[in-house]
Amino acid sequence: MAPASGETFPDLVLADHAGNQRALSELVAGDPAVVQTYRGWWCPKEQAFFRKLVALQDEMEVAYTRIVSISIDPPPVAAAFRAGLGARWTFLSDPERVAQEQLGLRETTDTVHHPYVPAVFTLFPDRTVHRAYDGYWFWGRPTLEELRQDMRAITRAVRPDWSAPTPSTRDEGAEGHPGAAP
Amino acid sequence: MSLSRHWLALVGERPGDAAAAAPVHEADGTPAGFLAIWTRRAKPRPDARRIDARLLDHEGAEAHVSLVRPPAGVRLLFDDVAVQHARRAVLAAPPLDAVTTLLSDASHFEGSLTVARGDGVARLADDPFARIFPARLLRVGAGVVGRLPAPAGPVIERYGSAQPWPQDRFAYS
Repeated sequence: MAPASGETFPDLVLADHAGNQRALSELVAGDPAVVQTYRGWWCPKEQAFFRKLVALQDEMEVAYTRIVSISIDPPPVAAAFRAGLGARWTFLSDPERVAQEQLGLRETTDTVHHPYVPAVFTLFPDRTVHRAYDGYWFWGRPTLEELRQDMRAITRAVRPDWSAPTPSTRDEGAEGHPGAAP
Repeated sequence: MSLSRHWLALVGERPGDAAAAAPVHEADGTPAGFLAIWTRRAKPRPDARRIDARLLDHEGAEAHVSLVRPPAGVRLLFDDVAVQHARRAVLAAPPLDAVTTLLSDASHFEGSLTVARGDGVARLADDPFARIFPARLLRVGAGVVGRLPAPAGPVIERYGSAQPWPQDRFAYS
């Protein structure tokens, strides 16, 4: 079964688009993240949704938030799709469908490709699922505004200096980002 | 406040106080000194720069590197659009063995070190950071620089202004 809100997303270990083994925990690290499964480069719905994610990338890249995309495409295909999109996040490849089985996300209605069910999960840094979206129907996927709201909620929960440090809180020894204006 | 305490410099003589050092050669084989890394709070020498702490690897194999440094007297903000675009270009391209930006304060981009081995060596000639400042393509002996996981992307920001990109988490993470 795909993880639901409040559950922990499995720490998948898969090859990235360059063929290197990567653990999801290492990719998410200490940041809020959007983890997405997609059918494949050939699906018009995926192409439409990726164009939205690429648009969101301009915000994600300065907001200490991450994106990870997972499919059954082998690394060279994922790399080509990523490059064509202009995506600058990590794509993971599951051509053996091992993680797909673990997640219970095989799209049973496509008996040609046996792809992932399109799904989107917004995660806390410890991979606790904030919200899960079933994207089988396109309108089940999150809008960019919903993703922004999810990233805001998670960031607010995990950043100890969500409220800007003030001279008085600094005097009290509150932690902040070292020398940064996040 | 947590800072990277790993410093890097290209020096003429092997420093006795470095955590690691290895001889360096130009592409044509001409000796070019030693690449050294120190691990300490204080800057070990005036030309040393902070690096991503994960770069140091005593078991690291010989490698080719692109060492980008600003010309003497030239300073550029780390947040300059040119530096932003270079970081995006690094994330967009297939990853090489390692990359770190170089810092000495919280505000300025003071160069980069990109590490490659094998098939990646040829791509050092297209180092995005070399579009900002001049690069030297060098061969570094074993025992200094390792191989890092590629940045997860798409974050181009530093995790604290004294932490060299792409070091990828806040001190409390």
